[in-house]
This record gives sequence, C-alpha cells and structure tokens, in this order.
Amino acid sequence: MRKRGLAYWFLLALTLLVSAFLIVPVGMSILAGLTVNYFIGVESGLTLQWLAQVWSDHRHTVFLSLKIALACLFCTLLIGVPTAYVLARRQNAFTRALEELLVMPVAIPGLATALALIVMYGGMGDFRRSWSFILVGHVLFTLPFMVRSVLAVLSSIDLKTFEEGARSLGASFTQRFFGIVLPNCRSGILAGSLMVVTLSLGEFNMTLLLHTPLTPTLPVGLADAYASLRMEVGSAYTLVFFIIIIPLLVVMQWAAAPARIGTGQSR
Amino acid sequence: MGGGTRQNWNGAIKMSGAAIRLVCCGKTFADGTRALEPVNLEFDSGETVVLLGPSGCGKTTTLRIVAGLELPDPGGCVTFDGIDVTAVPIERRNVGMVFQSYALFPNMTVAQNVAYGLKVRGLSVSERELRTRELLTMMQIEPLADRHIDQLSGGQRQRVALARALAPRPRVLLLDEPLTALDARLRDTLRVEINRLLRSLGITTVYVTHDQSEAMALGDRVVVMDHGRVAQIGTPRQIYEAPATRFVAEFIGTMNVVRGEIHDGALHFVGGKLPVVNGGSVRQGEAMFRPEDLQLAEDGQPPHFGGRILVSLYQGDHTRIEIDVGNNRPIVARIAQRRDLKPGEHVHLMLSMPAILTPSNE
Repeated sequence: MRKRGLAYWFLLALTLLVSAFLIVPVGMSILAGLTVNYFIGVESGLTLQWLAQVWSDHRHTVFLSLKIALACLFCTLLIGVPTAYVLARRQNAFTRALEELLVMPVAIPGLATALALIVMYGGMGDFRRSWSFILVGHVLFTLPFMVRSVLAVLSSIDLKTFEEGARSLGASFTQRFFGIVLPNCRSGILAGSLMVVTLSLGEFNMTLLLHTPLTPTLPVGLADAYASLRMEVGSAYTLVFFIIIIPLLVVMQWAAAPARIGTGQSR
Repeated sequence: MGGGTRQNWNGAIKMSGAAIRLVCCGKTFADGTRALEPVNLEFDSGETVVLLGPSGCGKTTTLRIVAGLELPDPGGCVTFDGIDVTAVPIERRNVGMVFQSYALFPNMTVAQNVAYGLKVRGLSVSERELRTRELLTMMQIEPLADRHIDQLSGGQRQRVALARALAPRPRVLLLDEPLTALDARLRDTLRVEINRLLRSLGITTVYVTHDQSEAMALGDRVVVMDHGRVAQIGTPRQIYEAPATRFVAEFIGTMNVVRGEIHDGALHFVGGKLPVVNGGSVRQGEAMFRPEDLQLAEDGQPPHFGGRILVSLYQGDHTRIEIDVGNNRPIVARIAQRRDLKPGEHVHLMLSMPAILTPSNE
C-alpha cells in the first residue's frame, strides 16, 4: 500500500466536512418527515403516517409536476434539438444573437418572466387556468439548457464533414438527420433532458405566479405545506420529492455517462 | 502490373468510371475570395488524376466542385460521361468520397459504416451484407467488422473510409488528402496499397494532395495548381522532367536555378558554363537543373563548373552538398559517387543532362 501524504488526508477531511455540511440538513429533513413528533425528537418514535397523509392529500401535485416536466421535456426536445442543429450549422451574427436571446429567461428573475406572461396572456381565461400556462413558463426557462447542452456536443464533433460524408453516400437530409446527427449528439440530448426534467420538477419562482389554486405543482404545494401545516408533514412532502427526483437523477446520469457501450474488445 | 501484385486485391471487382469534364469552372466565395479561376479540365474514364499544389491553390475547391459539394460560379459546367451534372447535388451524383478526417460515423461499427451507403439506397439486408463482406475482404479488414470507430488505428480508419466510399459502386472516387493524417511510414505503405487498388478497380479517381511524392506515385496524370490556376497538366514524368513554369519546377522536387548569358548552346555564368537545350535565340536567361543530374568530374573530364562546398550531408546512398558558385543561391547536388566530401573543399562538377531554360512566362 502506498503511503499517502498529509495533503491527501487534509483534502479528504475537507471534502467530507463540506459534504456533511450539505448533506446533514437533508438527512435531518428526511428524519423529520418520519418522526412522530418533531419537537420531542426521534425518541417519540418513527412513523409513516405523515407520508401517507401527504400522499392522500397532495398526490395530485406530484402527478401534475411529473406531467408538466414530461410535457416540458417533449417541447424542449422538439424545439431545442433542431434549434441547436441550426445554430451549429450556421454561424453568423443572427444565430449568435439568437443564442444570446435564448438565455434571457435564465438571466431574468423568474418572477419577471411570469409577470410578463400574465400581463400578456392573463386575459385568456381558459389558457390562464390550465396547466399549459405553467408549461409555457417552464419551457421558456428550460429551453436554453437543452439547446446549450446539445450545441456543446454538436460543436465538439466535425458535424459538417459527417454530413458531407453521409451526403456523398447518397443520404437525404432526413436520413442523415436521424441516422447521423441525432445519434451523434445523444449524450448532449441526455444531459439536456436531465437538466430540463429536474429544473421543471423543482421550479418554484415562476410557478408561484403562474399556478392557480386548481393547478398547484409539487414545489408550490411544498411551500404551502411548510407555511400552513405541521413541520412533519412538510418534511414528509420533501421526502416524497426526493423519492421521485433521486431515482430519476440516477437513471439519467447512468444513461448519459457512457456515451456508448463499446463492444468491449478494445485492443 | 504483375500477376503477383494482384493477389492482395483478388477481391477487387472492376468498376466502370465516368469521364469527367469541367468547363469554365471558377469559384468565388460569398466573401468575395476567388478560390478558383475558371478552369477547363478533362479526366478520362478510369484514369487517376492528382490535383497537386500548396494550400490555398484551389485543388480542394476543384475536388468539391467535381463532388457536387460546391457549385461552380455561373457559366461553369460539370459533366459525367457527357451528361451535365452541374445542378445535381452530391447525394445523387454517385461519387465515393474519402475525407482527410475520414468522416467515419462514430455511432456505427465498421460494418455499419461500410453498409451505410447501401442502406440509404434501400438495398435489402442480404444484399447489404454480401456487398459489405466483399468490401471488408477486399480491404483486408474483416476482423474489424464489429469494432467501433474509436477502437481503430489511423491506417485502419483509412481502409474503412475507402471501403465505405467504394461500397455503393460509385462512378467516381474522390480523395481529399487521404494520407495527410497518418505518420510517414504508414503513409508509404498505404500509398502503395492505394495505388494497387486504383489500378485494379479501373475507377475514375481524383486525388487531392500537397505532397509531390504522393502525386508522382499515384497519378496517371498530375494537375499542378497555384493561386487558383492550373500551372501544368501532365504525366508525373513530364511534370518532373519538363516543368512548364518556374513554380512547377520548384514545387516538384528540388531545382537549381542559375542566371547567365547564353551563347554557343551553353549558359555562361560566374562559376562556369552549362549545356542547355535549344538555347538558340535567347541571349540572357535562367537555366534549371535537378540535383541528381550533377556528378563529380572525373580526372581528365572537362568540368562544367566548380565551387566551394558549403554544406555536406552524408545520406548513405548519396551525399547532398551545397556549393557556392558565386551565384545568389547555392547550388544543390546529389552526389552518388562514393567520395568523402567536406565543407570548404573545392569540387568540379558535370551536368549529365542539358539544363532547361526557364520558361519566359514567369
């Protein structure tokens, strides 16, 4: 065994300390959601009753959030991937300006974007009341993340030559877009999807203004629960959020990490 | 071509190549850069033509016009076998292309890459497999069929790129600096292989390179280009032995140039005199000759000129010397005679071939 230097142990301790600083509150919150009485502490015993209460009273917010996140992913894929392709293929003043403009909804506070949407479309009653109003906000906010991550991959490969190669072999635009372009930016699409889904699931700023009492999402319901219900219920609600988001994160990370599983016979 | 050299390529199937004509094809880019002055070129069916020149000479633009990746300026016209294909995009020109970076698709295996052109043409799975197998055998890369592109060496990628380009039986094969990305030793081996392959296929090939030895080895004819113009078209031997311009002479190999006065069939300069071809009417001029045409004058032979050795590099099979003859540039000689040549020594040299008078257009 190689002897490790002092610096190694110092850095390890620092890393563990910082990690603990971030993770302990999360653990405490989870524990609070499972404790019979938070003010007495764990001695009062562990229970699943808060979780059950959250599930029976608020599960519609969970389903709405998942529905919006998936719809948001669908929209950003549909708009974002072709946009990234055009930005990668045509580098001129206009596309550069477009690229900058796309990032605006991220730079501007969510509240401002939400207010602008309400001012503009608030009068359209059915649209204002439906969940698609929230969806529009989420798409605006998450689209740049999809475009950016796909664009990053497309810029790192020699897209133009790949396409010329495919053309010389007789491939039409559709054939090369689906057969060459999309498979080669798979890792960017996966990374972008991961960002979009997690951002949409956790989006609170904008949604607070965009939602109606009939369309509360998970983060909005969570804020409500902490404000008006017992601490244990709020914490159990957070736990529900973790249960949804953590497996999702793990699955998408796993899918994005090995860009391709090789045949395993590298020489 | 001997029967023995064929056996490596016994999988090769004769292909028919299109005769290509470029009529008045120039190219001006959107920013106003003139990449190619209007040129007329004719490539015969089955011929290998090498476009040779320094970077920015218009050779790649010419290739891309043949391929259909660039449109010539209005008025230009490209024909394959007499049929105007100027407006036909590359997808429907039936050309095979090998790129400098190979452009192999990283999302596919070797076999899938080779089969791609057949797949997009709608061939059945069994036809595709048959033809892919055929090409993999021909290029001797069968064991690599299921590898991914990032698991291949440079030379293997080169073979896959060739197999992929040839799979759909193109009428024309276009190669854009296919060996530039490889190291020198591999380049030599592959050059021999590509040469053998092209001879046995009988496909019309346009090959772009900036490497003159590649051009000499591969081309039936070489088109030397400079600043968007054709400087000379000819067989490798014509280009080397009878360069049409000073540019061609100095781009291909090493060329000595001396300036002097011409009379009595010889060019007289400070270091001596040189025999020249048909120096009849010219009175003043420059004469060019190759380093390997010089040899040391033996005892009793009258030397053409003499000078002091500035640099001497022993290369085994020859010694490369640079001689000061009072000219503005030293003269380079490639001496095959086995003699110790040291800097500072005075040598007498003979020219075994008459020198070429520099064409007046430069």
